[in-house]
Amino acid sequence: MTAFGSMGIAQIKAGLAAKEFSASEVAAQTFENIARADEQVHAFLETTEALAQDAAARIDRAIAEGRFGDMGVLAGVPVAFKDNMNLTGTHTTCSSRMLENYVSPYTATCVEKCLQAGALPIGKLNMDEFAFGSSTETSAFGPTRNPWDLERVPGGSSGGSAAAVAAGMVCATLGSDTGGSIRQPGSFCGIVAVKPTYGVVSRYGVVAFGSSLDQVGPFTRSVEDAAFVLNALAGRDPLDCTSQVCDVDFTANLAEGVCGMRIGVVPAFMEAQGLTSEVREKVEDAIAQLKALGAEIVEVDLPHARAAMSAYYVLGPCEAFSNLARFDSVRYGYCDPDHADLGSQYEASRAIGFGAEAKRRIMLGSYLLSSGVYDKYYYPAQQVRTLITQDYTQAYERVDCILTPVSPRTAFKFGEIGDPTEMYLSDMFTISINIAGNGGMSFPVGLGRETGLPVGVQLISPAFKDANMLRVAAALETVYGKAPVAPAFAEEKGAE
Amino acid sequence: MTEHVSQADVRAIAEYARIGLTAEEVVSMTADLNAIIDSLAPITEYDLEGVPPTFHPIGDLSNVMREDKVRGSFTQEVALSNAPKQEDGSFLIPSILGEGGDR
Amino acid sequence: MKSLEEVLETWEAVIGLEIHSELTTLNTKMFCGCKLEFGAAPNTHTCPVCLGLPGALPVPNKAAIESIVLAGLATNCDIEKHSMFYRKNYMYPDMAKNFQTTQGPIAFCMRGHLDLDVDGPAAKERYRLDSLEPGESSGNIVRTEDGYRAHVGITRIHMEEDAGKMVHIGGGEGRIAGAKESLVDYNRAGTPLIELVTEPDLRTPEEARLFMQKLRQIYLAIGISDCSMEEGSLRCDGNVSLRRRGSAQFGTKTELKNMNSFKNLHDGLAYEICRQAQVLEEGGVIYQETRHWDPSAKRTIVMRVKETADDYRLFPEPDLAPYDLSDEFIERVRAKLPELPDQKAARYSASFGLSAYDARHLVDHRATADFFDECMALVAAEKDGSKFAKPLANLIINDVTSYLNAHPEVALTDTPLTASRAVGLVRLQSDGAISSKQSKQVFAAIMEEDKDPDIIVEEKGMKQVSDAGAIEAVVDEVLAANPEKVAQFRDGKTGLMGFFVGQCMKAMRGQGNPKVINDLLSQKLS
Repeated sequence: MTAFGSMGIAQIKAGLAAKEFSASEVAAQTFENIARADEQVHAFLETTEALAQDAAARIDRAIAEGRFGDMGVLAGVPVAFKDNMNLTGTHTTCSSRMLENYVSPYTATCVEKCLQAGALPIGKLNMDEFAFGSSTETSAFGPTRNPWDLERVPGGSSGGSAAAVAAGMVCATLGSDTGGSIRQPGSFCGIVAVKPTYGVVSRYGVVAFGSSLDQVGPFTRSVEDAAFVLNALAGRDPLDCTSQVCDVDFTANLAEGVCGMRIGVVPAFMEAQGLTSEVREKVEDAIAQLKALGAEIVEVDLPHARAAMSAYYVLGPCEAFSNLARFDSVRYGYCDPDHADLGSQYEASRAIGFGAEAKRRIMLGSYLLSSGVYDKYYYPAQQVRTLITQDYTQAYERVDCILTPVSPRTAFKFGEIGDPTEMYLSDMFTISINIAGNGGMSFPVGLGRETGLPVGVQLISPAFKDANMLRVAAALETVYGKAPVAPAFAEEKGAE
Repeated sequence: MTEHVSQADVRAIAEYARIGLTAEEVVSMTADLNAIIDSLAPITEYDLEGVPPTFHPIGDLSNVMREDKVRGSFTQEVALSNAPKQEDGSFLIPSILGEGGDR
Repeated sequence: MKSLEEVLETWEAVIGLEIHSELTTLNTKMFCGCKLEFGAAPNTHTCPVCLGLPGALPVPNKAAIESIVLAGLATNCDIEKHSMFYRKNYMYPDMAKNFQTTQGPIAFCMRGHLDLDVDGPAAKERYRLDSLEPGESSGNIVRTEDGYRAHVGITRIHMEEDAGKMVHIGGGEGRIAGAKESLVDYNRAGTPLIELVTEPDLRTPEEARLFMQKLRQIYLAIGISDCSMEEGSLRCDGNVSLRRRGSAQFGTKTELKNMNSFKNLHDGLAYEICRQAQVLEEGGVIYQETRHWDPSAKRTIVMRVKETADDYRLFPEPDLAPYDLSDEFIERVRAKLPELPDQKAARYSASFGLSAYDARHLVDHRATADFFDECMALVAAEKDGSKFAKPLANLIINDVTSYLNAHPEVALTDTPLTASRAVGLVRLQSDGAISSKQSKQVFAAIMEEDKDPDIIVEEKGMKQVSDAGAIEAVVDEVLAANPEKVAQFRDGKTGLMGFFVGQCMKAMRGQGNPKVINDLLSQKLS
């Protein structure tokens, strides 16, 4: 059996083009592999065999007719989606009891673009409930396990998306990132994980958490694969007012190297409280490698970044409170039975349908937007956003890309962090990028000395110059190699 | 820890957010919210006089609109496909007497 | 309860209006491409956006923004170039997202006004109008010859979206009270809606009614809405408070809903003013509450007491880009501004010498104004074509309007009265071919038989005789036949003139020109 999930996009497409295997075989064996691996990982909430076989049949027909070249950048490539992305006919649960039985009557633009690019839709991936969390432990349908150590979390909120790629079930998945929900699980699972600039990828059809913060991006095991997926995803969508024109070939300058590039480092981040020494060592190593490759390392300051966490825990919950008001038991979602009046049906349905973290964020947002409180937190948070954005703008006058840790530590054990405010700290290095809106990604630079778990470095681009960070990541990849499938899931029979 | 919100406040917020909370949940929620609100202090520590807010992190993008052209709608069946309760082509809800709102 | 007139002796009523208009003339909803259509099967004009499905995002309808800017320009508002949409958060089942997308402190249109001409019986509600001389002003009004002109401030017009519709079952007459269940239909959800808020500048129910009528004329003229109060595309809420004459401090206001006709608007406000006066005079307190006008019971009923100000957790809508309207955009909209009713009335007075009253009544309805314009266009080439203006205005304001009132289902353009027939009719009268009495008969015949006026006159043998020679013979005959009456007349019994005219008319079977008869009789009897 061929483990297509452990192949890269170019490899799968080459095999299809050479007729070494068919797209239908790719689909079928991907599902077989998932059936085996996912028993341990629990990355998938739903697999979509029929949709994948239909798509595969179209690709196979194209191959037979000699049209494979026209079928798109992801033609025949298995891709799976975070479960907050609508795909007609599939459940879109956001890992919440609230949407346990919800079946999408429409498809998100990011999903549609993958399908248009020829991807085989494999299924829907576990996440923290409504993306509230950093561990995928808040999923109402059970946590996802980290393929590198099944006793540990994969990170979150896009934990399923990261774990599926790290375990070699698929070579590409989509996740969403509001405060670090792509980059942090990418780091925990040792893969490439990209949060593009806000506006590069349409949010239409992706269940909203923080509308001004959310952005969709890919998980892959190589920088090139991430660029392929971004090529499929990026661009203005008439259905999303905040999406923007993005005529970039993300693969174009991957091989250019970093010679002459100026890479920023933030001394204050490297001395941050809570940053473990094994993570710091790996980040310093990556800096040294880039220097050796010819990059100029420049110290930059992001003086307002320390307020980013606070601003985030104002803006995120405020937007979430409003975005989640629609889950009211009237048009869809959990409806507690036998209530004589709507008020009690509302309260019971939302009490039962939402988990503890969702309730906390909704409550927090409702409080922060109330009159009197708004001026104390919400408005200043939006002003702080201006200052944080200016920090980045000023830094990018001197550098092309900034390098920082992704997460202060490697993956933690289930239940290890119980206190919500402590959990929030795992996003301390990622959050300011969502506040400012520019692009950030995690690139795996090997395993931590103490825990033996993957460590990622975060590369941060100026807004709409996402190609910069991909170029730096590609350079690092020449040193650290492509991200491996987690050892326990690596193919014995070896497709690589 | 400062008490930013009391248990009574939490009950009022829950009522506004339409989330039924048990007595124990009110207690733990009050503690959680106060801890989180404590952690928001940094944004109150800057001199923000004259700093404009950034409500939309989209640069100079403005006036995004569409033409007044009809796009397809759902059939009634699809519109109601996730309805917990329905009748006569409409969503069915219990009595709304006592609901406030702007009506 | 005291009458409104009595109440307004002691109390000053302070009234502000909030007027919602659906932009029914657009093709699609505010934030999605679902078709706007009244009366479709439930939930057939819905999509992810207007059903508030998870993940859906709004995209504003450009034509709606153009419409509200047009409304602002037509009501003397400043157009704000920089504004944003906000989310107004509260849960209600007819609102799919459980927030309404609306505007914040800055709306597209701010600081406008309309001037109301109040005259006739309507002016009587105004307290001590007689103490003012024409041209003299007091507060926001100026005394005119036949009433007064009131300057009514418009605070703002903002863009928002309508909610869905609910049908309540199990209660009486579809009301919420007593209903066990409700059905929700989201076809209307997301319909573009503009809300105009006035300053509290209105002082009488008549002013409120006239404001609403005037605004409706303007919206119809600029074509942004069908303004049907019956179908709910034009809706009005009123805020009413009382203060003692001479007091500068506002009283507690109540909000009045369900005034879905001009009559209900007037009567609801009048009732509420009288009710508040009674409560206050009995030493009671007015509570800030929402009240519902029940036209059949002729009273207002409490819907909801507002103990504290509503806290809607308003914040800028992150899914919608802000607005930065260009001068070019605004000027392009301004170019679409048609002649507005006030401008039209002024033109009628200036160009055709019509009285302000006639001019205003012609422009009351777009259809009558258009018809008048069409008629005047037919005679424009004639040397003294404008002499037809007054008789045409009379025809339209009196005969045509009463015909249309009696046939509310018929549009003027669908009647047999074409502009050329109207001109033909007034021409027959001004040429002296028919009398004014005959003119009414011809009008009735046009409407009934769908024929041209000269054919009707011909067929009915109605042609008026104006030939002085023919009439003189008849006059001589009549005088000769009534020597006693002639003698009495000459002795000063001048009231007999009517008798002589009647006799002449009788002899001429009604076709004599009364003016010529009168002139000849006067000559011969002097």
